[in-house]
Amino acid sequence: MSKAIFIFIASLLVLLPMVLSEGGIDASTQMTLCLPFILFIGIPHGAIDNLLYLREKKLNNTQFISIYLIVVFSNVLLWMFFPICAYLVFLIISAYHFGQSQFAHYFKETGLLQRLLAISWGVSLLSALIYFNIEEIQKIMLADEHFLVFDLLHQTQHMHYLFLASSLITLALMVLLTIKKAIKKEMFLLETVVFFLILLSFEVMPFLIGFTLYFVILHSLKVLNEEYHFLSAKKEVGSWKGFISLLAPLTLFSFLGIALIFLLIYLELIAYSYGYCLLIIISSITLPHVFVMNRFYQLFKP
Amino acid sequence: MLLLDVLTIPKDDAVAFTFFTGYMAMLAASIFFFFERGSVDGKWKLSLLISALITFIAAVHYYYMRDYYLATGENPTALRYIDWTLTVPLMCVEFYLLTKAAGAKIGLMWKLIIAAVWMLVFGYIGEAFVPLNPDGSAADGAAMHSVIYGVLSTLGYIYILYTAWFGEVKQLAEKTNNPVILNGIKTLAWFVLVGWAIYPIGYMCMPGGWLNTALGWESSNVDLFYNIADAINKIGFGLVVYNIAINASKAKQAA
Repeated sequence: MSKAIFIFIASLLVLLPMVLSEGGIDASTQMTLCLPFILFIGIPHGAIDNLLYLREKKLNNTQFISIYLIVVFSNVLLWMFFPICAYLVFLIISAYHFGQSQFAHYFKETGLLQRLLAISWGVSLLSALIYFNIEEIQKIMLADEHFLVFDLLHQTQHMHYLFLASSLITLALMVLLTIKKAIKKEMFLLETVVFFLILLSFEVMPFLIGFTLYFVILHSLKVLNEEYHFLSAKKEVGSWKGFISLLAPLTLFSFLGIALIFLLIYLELIAYSYGYCLLIIISSITLPHVFVMNRFYQLFKP
Repeated sequence: MLLLDVLTIPKDDAVAFTFFTGYMAMLAASIFFFFERGSVDGKWKLSLLISALITFIAAVHYYYMRDYYLATGENPTALRYIDWTLTVPLMCVEFYLLTKAAGAKIGLMWKLIIAAVWMLVFGYIGEAFVPLNPDGSAADGAAMHSVIYGVLSTLGYIYILYTAWFGEVKQLAEKTNNPVILNGIKTLAWFVLVGWAIYPIGYMCMPGGWLNTALGWESSNVDLFYNIADAINKIGFGLVVYNIAINASKAKQAA
């Protein structure tokens, strides 16, 4: 068991009764509770993409940031003109990224089965998140006209079948990889327990709290830990303090960017709502991050 | 006259059924562990005696609990916690005994015992003193009572879980360089993670617990969860210790 899994289980055990005894928690309270964790742990896990990608020195920092920004702006344009397409791209690449980071440390080689497992695990995770919280999501969507376009995708029946199919495929692939000895039996058991607990948290906890628990602890903390050990092995950082100072510049830059966009919304210079803009921002910084991390996991076996 | 006191087991009462099977299984396990002490090397005899004591103490409590349940139809909460207050710290003693050869200090045992007692005392307060209405339903403040003591109790559990998976117990097991002990400790850590996790499910079925309020699971489910968990954890825990003892003894004989 990794420390991230331990922290996830411990947090779940402590939070579950506390959150449930509160009954319904409205979206703004959820946001207030979750935002600090997303900002200070979630965003930093993608804040050294340049350092991770530039290891082969094929690009300099300026070139990398230019390409990064081009990808980000292309994605923003996609959101402006083809929102459904942009939303689907966001979900699919996020699904692959979540699955890849969940299993990266088990595999010595990344073949077709491993990639299929990553995508099916991620699809199962995201479809579960939507399926188990469909009423809450539909409520948010109905309250904001920009989200109405996605309503068609969030139908209970679609999500139900997608969740069942992807979960069965995930289970079958995990069994197959265990038989092929690509995953140890103990790891199979552990990942099954963890997946069950993630589903439990999505089912019984409010949407944003359930997702934050997964995203911050099981995903972001795990990736931060891998990034630290990678840079530490390359002798580029000697302590967590040094690592945090590496994360700080782009994290602060992201905060400023988000603050600026929110200011523009407040001044009514951007015609989108805060929630919709936040989704575009998250999607736009996720897209290049997924490609960087894909390369990172090819170069580095945690 | 004696036959008049015999209580029948309703055929559809899984709780009563598991009280009886639990009692016999624990007793049988105690006899097995006690007699198998003769098959293992000297340094493992105490570990097997502790395993036998754990299941024997549980068997005696199950003897009383099954009668209490059949006579009253209520949860024998106090008897359960008396049982656990004795047996769970003994399980923690097993961790200490298994890692003693690698230099485990007596402090480790006491830390684990304190965490176990902490977990059980707060669990007992949470379960036994929950505010109830005269009809047995949860009264005002029951949910808060359940949450506060549930969270406090969980802290003790988390400490034991951490010690078994990452802390002193894990480090000492690695220090032994003995794959039998290493695998055994890993299996026991799995018992703590999965097996012991069944108890909070029972706790949360009690009036005021979130499974009770959110999903409508009732306190009648509690005993079934606890009986199954007890049988798996106590006998299983002992069997893992037995497996370590017998394999380590064989390896020593072969050397």
